[in-house]
Amino acid sequence: MTSYGGYQRTGYGAQGGDDGGGFSVGASQQGSQSGGGGQRNFADDTLRPVTIKQLVDCKEPYPGAELAVDGMPTTQVTLVGQVRSVHPQAVNVTYRIDDGTGLIDVKKWIDAEKGETNPRYAPDTYVRVFGRLQSFNGKRHVGAHYIRAIEDFNEVNYHMLEATYVHLSLTKGAAAGGAGEQQQQGGGDDGDSMFVDGGYGAGGGGGGAGDSAAIQARLSPCSRNARTIFNFLANTPGDGGAHLNQVAAGTNLSTKEILAGAEELLGQGFIYTTEDDETWAILDM
Amino acid sequence: MEAIASPRITCAYLNTYVGKNVIIVGKVIQLRGEEALIDADGNITAHLNREAHLLAGNGAQIIGKVNPDLSIKVLSSMDLGTGVDYNLANSVVEISHQHRSLFA
Repeated sequence: MTSYGGYQRTGYGAQGGDDGGGFSVGASQQGSQSGGGGQRNFADDTLRPVTIKQLVDCKEPYPGAELAVDGMPTTQVTLVGQVRSVHPQAVNVTYRIDDGTGLIDVKKWIDAEKGETNPRYAPDTYVRVFGRLQSFNGKRHVGAHYIRAIEDFNEVNYHMLEATYVHLSLTKGAAAGGAGEQQQQGGGDDGDSMFVDGGYGAGGGGGGAGDSAAIQARLSPCSRNARTIFNFLANTPGDGGAHLNQVAAGTNLSTKEILAGAEELLGQGFIYTTEDDETWAILDM
Repeated sequence: MEAIASPRITCAYLNTYVGKNVIIVGKVIQLRGEEALIDADGNITAHLNREAHLLAGNGAQIIGKVNPDLSIKVLSSMDLGTGVDYNLANSVVEISHQHRSLFA
C-alpha cells in the first residue's frame, strides 16, 4: 500500500506536467481531476478526517517524506477527541487529545495580536481540531490551525464514521455515487466533494489512461472492486500489466474479489490478459 | 507514545473486555447513589466515582474498567444531554470493531 501510494503520486506529478496544468490557481481544489497539480505539495494538501490511532500508526514512505496514512501523503488532518491535559507554554498551548483510539499532542500557537482572547479548553472537553500533522525528533504532534469545542456529542460519532469512510474509499475505492465518484465524473463540479484526493480514481486519471472522465463514466456500471482494480491497473507502469499478486498487494482486495472484478472488466472489454490468465493490462480505448 | 486505547463498546462486548478500559455511550436509566444503570444496547451497571454528575434520562459517556462481574468501575463520566443518537453510537461501536486498524 505504502509503496503504491508513493508511486502513484510520482507518476501523477510527472504526467501532470504534460497536461499543461502547472500551477493553476485552485490547484489544491481541482488538482486531482484536472491533472493540474504540477507541484506535489499543492495536490497533497488535503484535509483528511482521521482517528488518532491512524496518526500514531502512520509511516513515512521514506525518511524525510511526508507522513502517509493508507499510502496517501497526509499533511492536514481534522480530528475529534477529549482534552486530557493542557500545558500552557510561552508561545503555545499543548493539549493532549484522546479519542479512545490513541493519544496525540496538539499544539496551538498563541496569536500574540489576539492577546488573551484565545480560548482555553478544559480537560474532558470534546474538541475538534484542524491542523497539520508534524513529526519532530520522531515524535508526532498536530500543529493546530484551529480548535473548537464540540457542542453536539453526535459530532464525535459522526467524525468516527467519516474517518472510516475516507479510509475505506482510499483503500477499497470510492463508494458508488459517493464523493470520489462524483469528483471523477463531474470534472468541474468540485463543490460536491469535500475531499480533494479522489482515491484511486483521481490517480487513475493522471496515470495515463487518457480521458479519465469518460472512462470513469463507462466504468460506473461496474462493481466497486472492479473499478478499484481498473484504477490500479491504469497506474501500473509498462505494457505488461499487473499480476494478480501485485493487484492484491496494491488494492487490499482478496484474490477472490480480484478474480471476480477482473472477470467483470474482461467481459466489458476494459482490460485484457497478457502473460497468463492472472495478469491483466488496460485495453487502450 | 504509549498506546492506551479505550475501545468503544456496547453491552454485548463487555465480556471480551474484562479488566480493560472502555468507553461506553448510553442512556442513563436509573441512578442509585453511587451506582448507575446505563442502556448501551443492553443494561450495564456502572459504579460511579465522586465527581460523577449524571442525570437519569440523559445520555452519558463513561470511561472505565470492566469488572469481572461485567459492571464498570467508572474513571470518568460525562453528561451528554438529551440529543444523543443512540443508534448512531451503537453503529459506531460496530464499525469500530469491524475496522480495528483505525480504532484499535
